[in-house]
Amino acid sequence: MEPVHLFSLIDRQQAWLSTRQALVAQNIANIDTPGYRAVDAAPFERAMARVGFEMSASSSLHMRPAATETLSTSIRTADGWETNHSGNTVSAELEMIKAGDIRNAYALNASVMRAFHGMWMATVKP
Amino acid sequence: MDPLSAALKIAGSGLAAQSARLRVVAENMANAQATGQGPGGAPYARKTISFVSELDRASGVQLVRVQGVGVDSSPFPVEHDPGNPAADANGDVRRPNVNMLTEMGDMREANRAYEADLQIMRQSRDLLSMTIDLLKGA
Repeated sequence: MEPVHLFSLIDRQQAWLSTRQALVAQNIANIDTPGYRAVDAAPFERAMARVGFEMSASSSLHMRPAATETLSTSIRTADGWETNHSGNTVSAELEMIKAGDIRNAYALNASVMRAFHGMWMATVKP
Repeated sequence: MDPLSAALKIAGSGLAAQSARLRVVAENMANAQATGQGPGGAPYARKTISFVSELDRASGVQLVRVQGVGVDSSPFPVEHDPGNPAADANGDVRRPNVNMLTEMGDMREANRAYEADLQIMRQSRDLLSMTIDLLKGA
């Protein structure tokens, strides 16, 4: 259907960015929790590497391996720049930088999606 | 639960925790001069607050909540003031163990964390509306 998988690719990255945004929110909320270790999402490339494509088969009766179409983002601890005396490793500045990156990437993806959708609609509309 | 709604929920829990902290700071500051009732009575003891992160099973994210409000067990400063109604037999009055400077510092920190939570909330909402705006004018 889609020759370049553009929309599905953008959709996956938006899902990954949303997950990352939730993790930033989690870090910020726990900024004063004693012993809390900051977390971050594994890089998008790594999450993408695990997404497989469905194998084609000559007959619908053939058995085929279950395709892992959905993106599963693994979460890992990612300590900030400093650890305070209670063992909390969240640094507010780093989280704000991450939040800025997420916002930029999300806005860019949304714009690209809009642009491509516009092109698509130009061919569909009489 | 979709991650952006989860982000809003998490930031909300952060706001609640930080405002509870501000409430404790306000209590401490208001009672900074509250001596005990009657001769030799115990004065106001400074309150402390601690947070703990908690897994929200419905959405699988770590929220923050107030673990408990405790009492600072540091000794009360003693002041010689025989005329005070709270003075004991020696004319000594025990004052609350509230340090204004510590409370101000705590207040600033709570303020900053609250602002950071608000910022995250604002941004999560922006991301949601960016997605919804894709429907506009298509």
